Order: sequence, then structure tokens, then C-alpha cells
Amino acid sequence: MDELPSEVDLLIIGTGFIESIISAAASRIGKSVLHLDPNDYYGNQWGSFNLQALLDYNPDPSEPCDFRNKSFSLKNFHYEWLMEDQKEDLLKNSRKFNIDLTPKLHYCRGDFVQLLITSNIARYSEFRSVTRILTWLNGQLELVPCSRSDVFASQKVSVVEKRVLMKLLTSLDDILDSENTHNFKKFLESRKLSDNLVTYVMAMAGATEHTSLGEGVKSVKRFLDSLGRFGKTPYLFSMYGSGEIAQAFCRLSAVFGGIYALNQQNLISLDSEDNRITSLTTTKQQIRAQNYVTSLEQCSEKFLRPVKINNYISRAILITNKSILPSEQEQLSFLIYPEGTERIINVFELGSLTGTCPKNYYLVHLTSKQVTTPQEDFKGALGNLFSGSDQPQIIFSCYFSIPETSDLDFENVPENLFLCPGPDNDLDYNSSIQKAREIFEKMYPDLEFLPRAPDPEEIIIGD
Amino acid sequence: MASNKKVLLKVIILGDSSVGKTSLMNQYVNRKFSNQYKATIGADFLTKEVTIDDRTVTMQIWDTAGQERFQSLGVAFYRGADCCVLVFDVTAPNTFKSLDSWRDEFLIQAAPREPDNFPFVLLGNKVDLEPRAISAKRAQQWCQAKNNMPYFETSAKEGLNVEQAFLAIAKNALAQQNQSVDLYNEFPDQIKLTNTQKSNGGGDSCAC
Repeated sequence: MDELPSEVDLLIIGTGFIESIISAAASRIGKSVLHLDPNDYYGNQWGSFNLQALLDYNPDPSEPCDFRNKSFSLKNFHYEWLMEDQKEDLLKNSRKFNIDLTPKLHYCRGDFVQLLITSNIARYSEFRSVTRILTWLNGQLELVPCSRSDVFASQKVSVVEKRVLMKLLTSLDDILDSENTHNFKKFLESRKLSDNLVTYVMAMAGATEHTSLGEGVKSVKRFLDSLGRFGKTPYLFSMYGSGEIAQAFCRLSAVFGGIYALNQQNLISLDSEDNRITSLTTTKQQIRAQNYVTSLEQCSEKFLRPVKINNYISRAILITNKSILPSEQEQLSFLIYPEGTERIINVFELGSLTGTCPKNYYLVHLTSKQVTTPQEDFKGALGNLFSGSDQPQIIFSCYFSIPETSDLDFENVPENLFLCPGPDNDLDYNSSIQKAREIFEKMYPDLEFLPRAPDPEEIIIGD
Repeated sequence: MASNKKVLLKVIILGDSSVGKTSLMNQYVNRKFSNQYKATIGADFLTKEVTIDDRTVTMQIWDTAGQERFQSLGVAFYRGADCCVLVFDVTAPNTFKSLDSWRDEFLIQAAPREPDNFPFVLLGNKVDLEPRAISAKRAQQWCQAKNNMPYFETSAKEGLNVEQAFLAIAKNALAQQNQSVDLYNEFPDQIKLTNTQKSNGGGDSCAC
């Protein structure tokens, strides 16, 4: 077998979303990149798994090593078959599942979609529109109207309300300057919107009762700005799951010369001297680089002081036997479920057309800020959505907690070592793209971040 | 009717490093060969229009981009393949031995609906080089045991049999797609973010 190169410009450990973007960006501008992962799959905590691989997922490998940092691994990982008789059939179709640890949506006019288009990475991936947005109001599911025509077609909104709402939505820019209240919900209520309308607008903003006016308005604007580009709602979902996305960036990196080696279990240590990393030692060789990028998950404790994780993301993954709101055609639903006064549970319900589960089943992802445990955090919502006789049944459930690491700071990190946090609790990738861009700009301050890659036909092959 | 639709065939090329995957693609699409071995820098996918039984189809041939070198091709690479081309070097026995694992890997990762009928094509490349390590007979025997996989002996360097091999690949890919499209289109209405269609002359852009 080939040996890895002994000297590169940039050595990256971990194939999570942020590391993968940095890899693509560095290769793209001609840096030699070696991209390693101790795991035998792409994506770290951003990855996706078939059903069998999810069952085999082991967040806490027993043997400690310099490249598995237990502080940042998934916690409370637990799964359960609620309908044991379906197990065999589902495992037979294991490969038809692509189950994200961290599912994300993309705003049709958001930074992610823009970056994919401007960098030409879009050619490696396909998407589907989220076909409907739901919320939970007065003990039942409600469709959130997503366009002018939706609003006007809705029978739940009176003519007067329609006028008030349209006026409100078209004057968002002026609101911030002119309002006294700082609370988004109180502001909406002060505009004499009915409970229904307040709930809809809150859902568009993904807002809780504590969301500030500024945040709320910003979020609603983002929602509205992304309407009317692809499909009926402002959101896209990646075909075959969000785990494909890191791989698309890695492919671009590889096309521009990045060297990929997964399943690297022979890594020993990152060696440092005078506050700089000097080399990576493996069982076979030493590899030197100018800069080093690593995921927190795969970074030794010795560079990460202090480790104090304050927040976790609660996750649940369900396989169900029908949609929470059946309709003639298969829907890709995004349910914004307000839980109490300060928490939103984001629920994605994915059918077989997304390439993430077999026909006649649904894959349901729940994500929320963690309060107690994932089981407790979702208990109320699951009780409301999956317990009635005409409601879908849960065949399989899996729970875990993801450490929220996007806001952590560490002291005395070697100056040529750049740390990539794991997933955040945002609906989309915007903050993570920002993080990748920041790291890239620290390493290569004057160079362009992911300029358009030429199409294959534009590359001339030399003789 | 499916036959009126623009047909795009995705073909992926697999095999050990340096068996000539990129060179075969380049020879076929650009009619160029480079002796310099670069571990596939800049090779992504190439497209070529071919006419099969009066139908014009666009064949998109995907290179491994070097990610096979340390067994690091992600599952995303295999999505939606209509045909898989396996390549070995007739002068390097190890590359022939790897064929089974490449085929298995494809079937596992791509998980085609009918694994037994999925079209593979085998290319024994570098027939211009000596000494030869794997005879045509041995390769054909392997193919027979694999549901009569078509076999071509090629030289990317000299352009030998390359055109014929890819034509067979296109035919098999098309047959595969016709079958599956007629049954049902598994994932309709996918969105590509690239909505600018290039105004390509539609033919071979080779200027040499």
C-alpha cells in the first residue's frame, strides 16, 4: 500500500462539515492538503449512516487515544425497537436508510446555497424542496402559509388579518427603528394579529416567547427572502441526507489534489514545540505540515484547556409507518413545534423520495436545545404526535445528545493548530460556513475563499 | 415517453490506483493521453454525447479523483450510477486480484435495486506494455463467472479499443436506465442548484 506524503501545506484531521470546507478551499487555491480521518466514514458528527451502521455506532470506543476526545463524543446514545416484528424487514432494507446525526435545512437564498453555486460544488449534489411547513397550535397540526397566495387561500386567516399581515411583512425593515418593545411575540400581539397569525409568524421565525424583536424580524426576513426560488417553501433538504454535503466538499478537494485517507487508526500524536505543532506521528511515519486543522472530537485533551461544555443538543431519530399529516402525495415536512415558552423542537419528516428511507416508511428527526435528557425533552411532542389510534406508530427510536461546541474557547492553542467545532443547534449551516471561512482566512489571509471551480471541460489536459 | 427525454447516463470508473482510469476517460473524451502520472489532479467527470440506436444520450463519466488510493471513496460517489466500469492493468497482477473487492464495494455502496443484473464492464488496460501478466483468457474466465460481464482489452496510450469499450458501456448503461425508468423513477423532481445551462455546441469540443 502507498505511503502517505511526508510533507504537505495543510494537514486536516476529521471529515466533519467545517473541516471539509476548509479542505476544499485550501486545495482549490493550490495548497497541498492531506485529509485524514480515524473513522472509516465521512462526516464525524455531521455524517449519515445506514440503519445497521447506526445500530453499530459506538460514540465511546473503549480504548482511549490521542485522536478520540471523549469530552466531545455523543452522549446518552440509546436506541430501541418499539415494534419488534418490523425489525427484520427494516434491517433487510438497511442500505435504503441514510440517517443523519445532524440533519440540516438550507435556505434557498442562504449562504450555503450561494456558496455551492459560486464555488461550483453544486454539481456534486441534488436537493429536494421541503414541501410544507407545519406548526402545532391548540393541540393540532397547522399548515403555515408560505406565500402570498397561501396566505390568501388560507381559510384560517380572515380578510382583515390578511391585510394586517401583508402590511406587517412588507414593512419589516422599518419596524426595528420604530418599535418600543424588544420582544418579538409581544410586538406581534400588539399589532392585533390573531393567535393563528401570531403562531404562523412565530413559526416562520422559529421564535420562542423569549425571542427578541431584532432576532425575530431578522429570521422572518430570512424566511421571506428565500421564498419563491425553488419550490413552495424557503427550504431545501439534501438528497440522501445532510451527510452527503461534507463529501461533496471533500470531492472538490480531491479533484484539486487533496489526498484522502479514512480509517487511519495508526495515528499516534500531534507533536508540538514552542507553541507550534511540528508534526503528526503515525506508527509508520512522521508527517510535517505548515498548518494543522482538526475537529474537536479528534483533538487531544492536551491542546484543549479548559474543556467545559455547557450546552447539549437533544436529538431523536424515529422510524414511523405513516406521515404525521397524511396527504395524497409524499410530503417532505418541516414541523416547528413550540415546546413550552423557551424551546422550539425542529421536526423533519422525510419520506422515501429523499433517499433517506425505504418506501412506506418515514424517517423523523427531532432536534432541540437540551434541557434534561433527549427522552424527556421530546416526551411531550412525541405524546402529541405519535400516540393516538389514527396517528403514526413509532417502529424504532434512537436518542442521543450532541455537545454544543460552537462557542467554546481554549487557551494556549498552538498557533498553527486550528480547531473545528462540531454541529450547532441552528437550522442551517450558515454559522458553520462562517467558522470555516474564518479559519481559512487566518491561514491564508489574502487568498480567495472557494472561487468558482472550472467545469471539467474547461480543464485542459497537458501533454 | 421516456425516449423523448434528455438522457443522462452516469458511469463510474473503478480500479486500483494507476491502472489508467483517468487516461481512459481522457483518451475517450479528449483523444489525449499524458504519460505523466499525476494521481488524478483535476480529473472530475467528463461528458460526451453518444448516439445509440438513433438516440442521443449524454454520458457523464466520473473519475475517482484519487480518493480510491487509500480506500476513501465515500458513498456519495456511487449515487445513481447507471454503469460501473472496472479497470485493471494487464501487466500488474495485483490490480486484477483487486477486481473482486472493487465489484463487491460497488454493490455494497451503490446498492442497486437488482445487483445481479447491474451492468459492469471490465477493461484490461495497458495492452501496449510488456510483460503481460494477465492473459485475455484469464480475464474472460473471471467475466464469465460474473454474469458474462463484457470484457475489452484497451490501451489508453494508443487509443486501442477505447471507443468500442465506451460505446458498449453506454449501451449497457442505457439498457439499465430504460429498465428502471420504465418501472418507476425512483427520485423524481430533484433540484440541481446549477440552473445556468451552458450553451455547448453539442459536439466533440476537441480542437486537436
